[in-house]
Amino acid sequence: MWAYEKRLQYPVNIKKKDLRMAKYLVTQYGGSNSELAAALRYLNQRYTMPDNKGKAVLTDIGTEELAHIEMISTMIYQLTKDATIEELEEAGLGAHYAEHNKALYPTDANGVPFTVAYFAATGDPLADISEDMAAEQKARAVYENLIDLTKDPDVLGPLLWLRQREIVHYNRFKELFEYYQEKLKNGNNK
Amino acid sequence: MNNYNFLRGNYQMDRNDSIDIFDDMNNFFPNMNMQMPNQGMMETQKLYTPEEAFTKGNLFANLYEQYKNYKPIKLVANNEQDRLYLDYARNAFAAHELNLYLDLHPNNDSMLALFNDYRRKADSLRSQYENSYGPISISSDVLVNSPFLWEEMTWPREGGNL
Repeated sequence: MWAYEKRLQYPVNIKKKDLRMAKYLVTQYGGSNSELAAALRYLNQRYTMPDNKGKAVLTDIGTEELAHIEMISTMIYQLTKDATIEELEEAGLGAHYAEHNKALYPTDANGVPFTVAYFAATGDPLADISEDMAAEQKARAVYENLIDLTKDPDVLGPLLWLRQREIVHYNRFKELFEYYQEKLKNGNNK
Repeated sequence: MNNYNFLRGNYQMDRNDSIDIFDDMNNFFPNMNMQMPNQGMMETQKLYTPEEAFTKGNLFANLYEQYKNYKPIKLVANNEQDRLYLDYARNAFAAHELNLYLDLHPNNDSMLALFNDYRRKADSLRSQYENSYGPISISSDVLVNSPFLWEEMTWPREGGNL
């Protein structure tokens, strides 16, 4: 089970409203390479890992992704909370307001709603972990695109930090992949 | 089914099969602060301090990759509450990084000792924070006070700190 901590993993304190950036940032909430996709992907795949190493890594990284969903959601909330209806409309968020008012909703930057079709589970540890490695790289690339799109240090700080987490997670998954590759090659899949 | 001897045996085997990705780190970091003699070789790697690790989002110097010329944003505590929060967050983050590492290297005793060091520090700093500024954990002792502080205290998304 999970125990909530009433804090963010890394602080988010955005003082300047920026609807343009919020509209882009939402992709890391509900896009194909989002934190939400990552959390569900890892927490779903962990059951069929061949041993405790895989189960531990996927559980612990999956758990951290839940904290990243909270960071991204917080950023979107802080960027939009003081906006007027007129400002939302001007920023192209009129349709969002029609559907959701100022509530958050997991979509990509084009407004396409989140779907579990964004991730796979094959039951094959090498196939699943390769996907996880790719997911971390794609999320890193998207964070870099987002970093290119802002100059606000309050937004840049958490984005740079989250990008670095993708790099660490990628390397842990790579270690896990290489470990299973060796292990399965030796005919030891239990 | 909790046959711990079997589990230990498994780990032992894993260790012998494992690929050492830090094998070549000796050449890169001559001034190592971590040594892992229990790995069967002198495997060493450089770790950042919890403060630097939290700023960078990465405890492991060999894994750190800067994006373009962007430097990590320096977090400055302007009051006692922020200072305590940061201290706690830094130690909790360092422990979490070692948690992920130990998932893959469960026999690394020096990393395990360091994990426990940061974990204890984080636990103690969290209690200190909670005693002065309200609960972070639902198991905090400050929840004996009325009204129910879990609900009363600011939620993380509201911002205002740091």
